[in-house]
Amino acid sequence: MNSTQTHVVEFPVSGLRTGYPHSAAATMEPIIQTENLRKIYRVGKVDVHALRGVDLTVQTGEFIAIVGPSGCGKSTLLHILGGLTGPTTGKVLVDGNDFLNMSDADRTRFRRHKIGFVFQRFNLLPTLSARDNIALAQDIQGNGFNPHRFDAAVETLGIREKLNARPYALSGGEQQRVAIARAVVCEPKILLADEPTGNLDTENSQLVLNMLRALNRSFRQTILMITHNPEAAAVADRIVRMRDGRIILE
Amino acid sequence: MILANVLHRPVRTAIAILAVAIEVTMVLIVVGLTSGMRNETAKRVEGIGADILVQPPGASMFLGLGSAPMPVKTGDVIAGFDHVLAVTPVLIQPGSTGGFNLVWGIDMPSWDRVTGGFVYHGIGGPFTGPYDLIVDDWNAKANHLKVGDTVNLLNHDFRLVGIVEHGKGARMFIPLQTAQDLAASENHANVFWVKCTDPGYTDDVLKSIRALLPNNQVLSVREYYTMMTSNNIPALNAFIAALVGVAVAIGFLVILLTMYTTITERTREIGILKSLGASKGYIIRAILREAGLLCVVGIAAGCLDTLIARKILIASFPTLSVDLTADWAMRAAVLALLGTLIGAFYPALRAAQLDPVDALSYE
Repeated sequence: MNSTQTHVVEFPVSGLRTGYPHSAAATMEPIIQTENLRKIYRVGKVDVHALRGVDLTVQTGEFIAIVGPSGCGKSTLLHILGGLTGPTTGKVLVDGNDFLNMSDADRTRFRRHKIGFVFQRFNLLPTLSARDNIALAQDIQGNGFNPHRFDAAVETLGIREKLNARPYALSGGEQQRVAIARAVVCEPKILLADEPTGNLDTENSQLVLNMLRALNRSFRQTILMITHNPEAAAVADRIVRMRDGRIILE
Repeated sequence: MILANVLHRPVRTAIAILAVAIEVTMVLIVVGLTSGMRNETAKRVEGIGADILVQPPGASMFLGLGSAPMPVKTGDVIAGFDHVLAVTPVLIQPGSTGGFNLVWGIDMPSWDRVTGGFVYHGIGGPFTGPYDLIVDDWNAKANHLKVGDTVNLLNHDFRLVGIVEHGKGARMFIPLQTAQDLAASENHANVFWVKCTDPGYTDDVLKSIRALLPNNQVLSVREYYTMMTSNNIPALNAFIAALVGVAVAIGFLVILLTMYTTITERTREIGILKSLGASKGYIIRAILREAGLLCVVGIAAGCLDTLIARKILIASFPTLSVDLTADWAMRAAVLALLGTLIGAFYPALRAAQLDPVDALSYE
């Protein structure tokens, strides 16, 4: 299928990431670069400094865990890197795009094609089946339904048997696997996971972490994962610690 | 996604569909009733078989309303014109039974010459006494009348002597003399119906009558028929427009409210769509498509409701006429669709403008 494939694929169907050479090692190509990144929210008449100058470089294919106490700015950083909100000042380059100078519409377009989100609360649409939740991402991307990618994502996450189920009929682990399938079905360059194991028991947490790790290793998927769980963070290549809107340790 | 969302809240969906259905039904029934009654009246005038009608100066196109009567002798003069076969005087009075009932006082011999006479249903026949009444079959059905019944009309008891085929002028007829006595208009009439020896002479006879009665309303029946459009009936267009406006406003407001509550309820889902990269246009289109689906089902339900409402109306009030046309069904559908899209646009715009981070954290 892919003549440039150089790594043994660990999943039953190798349909994802056909455009990338597979390698476990991250090459030294920064896909994310932030310098002195600041974000100030206005809450009432009070300015809240969520980020106070974050410098972060992420190489293509890296798996990074961001840890820190609640309110330290982890989620804000993830939202900025995913283009959900704009920075106040500082430099944010994501895959060569300067978010500071991009309009909301441009960031939305960028997110559509290059970012995948996984949330703690799964965030599946409750009225849709697992199949439709996954297909929705392709619909939004606008390139039509791609059965090859869809099947690859479904097989990769092992949710073939659950495709007709609505979210309420799925366990937390199954819902998160559907959410991951939805996040990767459009082959994003970056997968942003906001406490993906936060609502899962130990067994399902391990399952989800294994899948994220496998996506990273097999398909060189760049992943930034927020977590409170040291065991989850240990799965990553690198751990970034934050406190009070700053990175304190890498 | 659209269908799943619509089915997710069946009661709210049903209410929205019902609102659109009521909107469509209201438009179609109001227009159908006005045009039906207008056309039916015009057909009854045509059914008289006369070629020309003569009314007093300043007369309304609603026969017998708001005009001073003319001497019956004027009809005798017209009857003497060339190419005139017969003239029959009629004194039209509003009935006192409520509603828009007109009672025509007719001179039976001349009426028969102009119209060819009534076709009677079953037993019964022409007037034999001053307080005799003839009604058409629709009126008899509506009021459950049969020959021999006593009907209180114009504050007098009349005896029903005949039930006739509908389609000739009015639904209720009494002797001309009686009508004149009751209206204190002895030897007067407010319409003359003129029949020519041949319809081809209508214009010639019209000229003669207009020369004799330059200030009177003298029209060929064909002209009168074409005048019976909403444009010529005072305030009818405004009336229809007002009711259509109310109907559209109902649909608009219900859809606005429905979609607004939908958006509020789905704030988090909108945040999810945005996190997936959905553009403002995508979200607006999704919400408008959802509202459009409700509207299309509502239009279909409205058309069905209209047919049912028409059957019920005609069964309950047999003298009513409701004309349903594809043209107005299309107009009602377009109005409903426009109202729906405008009603849904504001909620859609609000949804599209939601901040994705706020939306994702919405509980």
